Amino acid sequence: MEHERCYIYTPPESEGRSSKRQRTRKRDPQPQRAERLATYREIWAQQEDRIQVLSFPLFSMRMSKQYQAALEEADSATQEKIINFVAASTRAEDEPQLSIPTGLVVAGPSIASHGPFFVRLGQRIKEETNSRYAILTSGESPNLKTLLKNLITKITSRIDDDDEELGRPTTSSRKGLKLLNFDLGHVQEWQKMNRVESIVIAIQDSEAFDTGILIELIDLLFSWLDRLPLVLLFGIATSAESFEDRLSGKSLRYLEGQKFDVTQSDEIIEKLFSATIARADVRLRIGPGLSRRILDRQKDHVQNVQDFVDGLKYAYISHFYASYPTVFLQEGLAFEDLSSDVFEAVRNLPSFRRWVEGLLDDRRTHDVRKLLDSDQYLYEKIIEYMDRGQLALSMLSQAVILLTCIREALHMTPQIRLSTIWTRAISGELLGAPLLRETMLTVKKTSSDKLAHVLASLKELDSDENYVSLESFQQELNNLIENNKNSTPLRSQDDVRNESLRTTVVAQKVLLSKHKAALSEQDKAYSDLVAHFHDRLEAYFNAAFVDPRTLFLSEIFMYDLKSPHTEVFQPRPRFAIERALASPHDYLGCDCCGGDQDEATLSATLPATAVLYQLYLNAGALINVSDLWSAFNVMVGDKDAEDESKTMALFQRALAELKNLGMVKPSRKKTDHIAKAMWKGL
Amino acid sequence: MLPDEILERLNAEFPSREQQIQQLFALYSQHLPSPPLLVAHGLTATGKSSIIRAYLKVSGIPFAIVNSRECITGRHLLERIVASCLDALDDFDGGRIDRRPFARTENLSALAVNLQRLFGGRAKFVVVLDGVDAQREAPPTLLPALARFGEMIPNLSLILTATLPLTTALHKPGIPHLHFPPYSRSSLLTILSMHPPKIFLMPPSAEQFPDYTADLAAEDDAWLWGRFLGAVYDSLSKHTGRDLISFKLCAMRMWRPFVDPVIKGQFGTRDFSRLMVNRRFLFQMEDGVLDKIISAEPPAGAGTSASLIEKKRSRAVVHSLPYYTTHLLIAAYLASYNPSRTDVTYFMKHTDKRRNKRRAHSASALGVTKSKHRKIPRHLLTPSPFALDRLLAVFRALIEGTVPQVADLLTQVGTLTSMRLLVRVGGAGAADVLDPGARWRVNFSWEYVRALGRSVNVEVGEYLVGGVD
Repeated sequence: MEHERCYIYTPPESEGRSSKRQRTRKRDPQPQRAERLATYREIWAQQEDRIQVLSFPLFSMRMSKQYQAALEEADSATQEKIINFVAASTRAEDEPQLSIPTGLVVAGPSIASHGPFFVRLGQRIKEETNSRYAILTSGESPNLKTLLKNLITKITSRIDDDDEELGRPTTSSRKGLKLLNFDLGHVQEWQKMNRVESIVIAIQDSEAFDTGILIELIDLLFSWLDRLPLVLLFGIATSAESFEDRLSGKSLRYLEGQKFDVTQSDEIIEKLFSATIARADVRLRIGPGLSRRILDRQKDHVQNVQDFVDGLKYAYISHFYASYPTVFLQEGLAFEDLSSDVFEAVRNLPSFRRWVEGLLDDRRTHDVRKLLDSDQYLYEKIIEYMDRGQLALSMLSQAVILLTCIREALHMTPQIRLSTIWTRAISGELLGAPLLRETMLTVKKTSSDKLAHVLASLKELDSDENYVSLESFQQELNNLIENNKNSTPLRSQDDVRNESLRTTVVAQKVLLSKHKAALSEQDKAYSDLVAHFHDRLEAYFNAAFVDPRTLFLSEIFMYDLKSPHTEVFQPRPRFAIERALASPHDYLGCDCCGGDQDEATLSATLPATAVLYQLYLNAGALINVSDLWSAFNVMVGDKDAEDESKTMALFQRALAELKNLGMVKPSRKKTDHIAKAMWKGL
Repeated sequence: MLPDEILERLNAEFPSREQQIQQLFALYSQHLPSPPLLVAHGLTATGKSSIIRAYLKVSGIPFAIVNSRECITGRHLLERIVASCLDALDDFDGGRIDRRPFARTENLSALAVNLQRLFGGRAKFVVVLDGVDAQREAPPTLLPALARFGEMIPNLSLILTATLPLTTALHKPGIPHLHFPPYSRSSLLTILSMHPPKIFLMPPSAEQFPDYTADLAAEDDAWLWGRFLGAVYDSLSKHTGRDLISFKLCAMRMWRPFVDPVIKGQFGTRDFSRLMVNRRFLFQMEDGVLDKIISAEPPAGAGTSASLIEKKRSRAVVHSLPYYTTHLLIAAYLASYNPSRTDVTYFMKHTDKRRNKRRAHSASALGVTKSKHRKIPRHLLTPSPFALDRLLAVFRALIEGTVPQVADLLTQVGTLTSMRLLVRVGGAGAADVLDPGARWRVNFSWEYVRALGRSVNVEVGEYLVGGVD
């Protein structure tokens, strides 16, 4: 072939498709699932502990010290306030109460988290005060009677809050007389026997209640206030003012109390993120794409702590379920436990190929041959590189925490959250990014008082990595500061205030020159210190901010698949229907209405509903059915056939289907017309 | 107790109600016959219930009081009447009446039978139905039937209290009515002056003011409180709420901030006029009159204007919503307040020409308002309903870039509905959640949406037809 300048490459002709290899043994579609499940459970249990410590502090008995601070900031502070309020409202025993003690709990617009919040609050109230707690939701209170029935059931049912209605005195007889089942007399009798200090009624979603019912309820409860020690809690999603605006002046007079603000859910999310994803000691990481997706969804669409946790859990589950090599995440795994399939799977990983290609470039063919042939050798390498990868990632997280901490200590604007920095770091774009450069420059310029602050806050992080010998730095800095006799802090040589611009006019040309002010001895010493510190930090960041996706085995210790997550958490029902109707061949996979055609073109081979849908899309808001029929007939109908009945049947069925999907509806505006109810792409 | 003593005590307890107490005394005494039915009527907080209760307590007549407010249905009321009559008789006689025959009172006839059986051969008994005109789910025959109970049960006398006289509802002429007129200014002042609140919650230190005794303090309290009440009534309560409760609440709300300088030692306890001048802003603001759940903290110092502005700002604070939710709300507002035919002008991806046209449009709208008939600005009208697709279309026009058609958008619409920021409105299919023809309406004000828009850098006024000044 050498004599030809160019030639047409013809691949060897194959006879159709290659013959299938016969399956010789029975394959397990899910090899070693039990082990993976166990690993998943173990890893997720750790995460769940962290989540629970953060957001549900009460239930977690294993409270570690380092979370105490975070815990105090989460909603337990608000709960504490509410409990104190409830406890305080019970004091007045004999004097007549002028109004019902009321707590307005402004819980923010994430409605889904209201439920768990009030349940947790109830647990604490029951534990810490001698009171009864009942939650009312709008769904179970369509009218006053049902509401009262529910309330009575909840208050008077057995102490241990089982969902079954045990021992409920539906027809309690008061000295022979039966009370109706919505009579608060039941509660009064119960109170006579139990003598609780307060009965707390939490109205979980006050917005969704009918205003009339709320007003009547308040009126009724107020008239019972001389017999029952009532406390009301209203869960509010919008604002306390709008809640007050809804009630009448009379009901407002019956209520008096305080407002409690629950921690904003984005702050809780931030805490959860740093506790679960961006931690140094996590065995399975969530990759940049997925974590960005989860965070964006929280910011743009829903604010919901539970959703965040669910998303994380689902990612963990799908990782372990779908990928066989994840079995390596199990600790203390022996070579004998594994089948050769898993090594085959590892050899197919893209990161393995990249790594091997790297080895080949280094001309270490022997190693590569060994990797491909020997499972034992590969096993050892995998174990080694798993540890290396984990180390690299934990170093990265550590560096991110450090970077955030420095930025915070220096009060740099704009404030960038840990989650943002972490997501950028894990996608490997932080090194050389303006963010990092700017931070490092600011470090270089800091004066001694600020640097002391930075060092102090870094020390609080108490990480075990000795990236910089903090102690010696602090020591030196302290020495310098002590020797400094001036009241002004020491400045480094890069500080702007040590520079001056000098203008000289030479031969009618203006020369601008920067000039460094003369530095004192101490300032010089300090400059050296800062420069040293800066260099150490920079070296550390350079080492830490690697692109984790280039690491060998990154597929195992990092999960970053978009596909199942979006389908599960952000389904697109309307888009799916529209797509199915607009391009049915995507689903049908038939040859007749092939994909090479333009989407908008119509062909008679399409399903009748799809044809009609195309016509529907081209029509205006009001559609003449007769026109639609004639267009449809032209498209689908047999040109020669006189009999239209078959086409008509197709047309009617298609139209009925569109109506069933809610796309058209009968219109009274014009005779023989239907109205378009849905537009594509909304 | 002697009759005169009773009168004296009640009159002391309830000032300026001598006439009513006298009438009650004449109508309900142990030995003289009583009317079978009496209607006590008067506005809220005129002492109807408390005077009747207090009188019956001291009169020695067995009685039962049923509060209609606590009865959820008409039947509930009937059951409560029988139950409380039984309780009252038990208490009065000290005995036990067998309750089994009275287990059920389903309707008015059963009530008549039960009461007949209960009071047969007994002395006089008074049943008070408090606030009977506000009974929920009352059977239509309730009041006429009650009016005729006296014919069947001779020893029962009923007292009904109501806001307005029940002249036509009873369908029976000649029912005695007892009117409780609203209190006049002087009687309001007398009543509230009976229990003056303290100026000093903590008595001043004994070493510093050795001669300021508790008696002296009480005297000062009464003096200042009396003056203060007059000022509050004349400046605020006269115009906002003249009944006893509103007046009392208003005065109580303003009392603490009013005496604040006295406690700090700036003024003496009897410097009323100087105190008035110093605290005049209390009487200029509406805070004392408004009913609120959260008791407002007293405004700090005399820097009133600054604190007022701050307060206004804090009221407009919006709970932070997710980004797209905010835009959905703005879109909903626009869909509610803009007529749909203007959507093309406002939300098409337009060229500069069209933008000019838009401006001209709003200017012409303004011109019309000046010349011919005055138009009410759109944002003051009630919002009009819109279809879901229009909301989504406006939403997509507002947002720069594309938004995937995820289910989260519809979830947000659902969430906003359960927060009552969006409201589903009527139509035939209102009960059907999946009805495609469902229409929605916004349930928040212009101020709210403007604050929302500014939080995401959207000036809502630019998109609103007619503009907002």
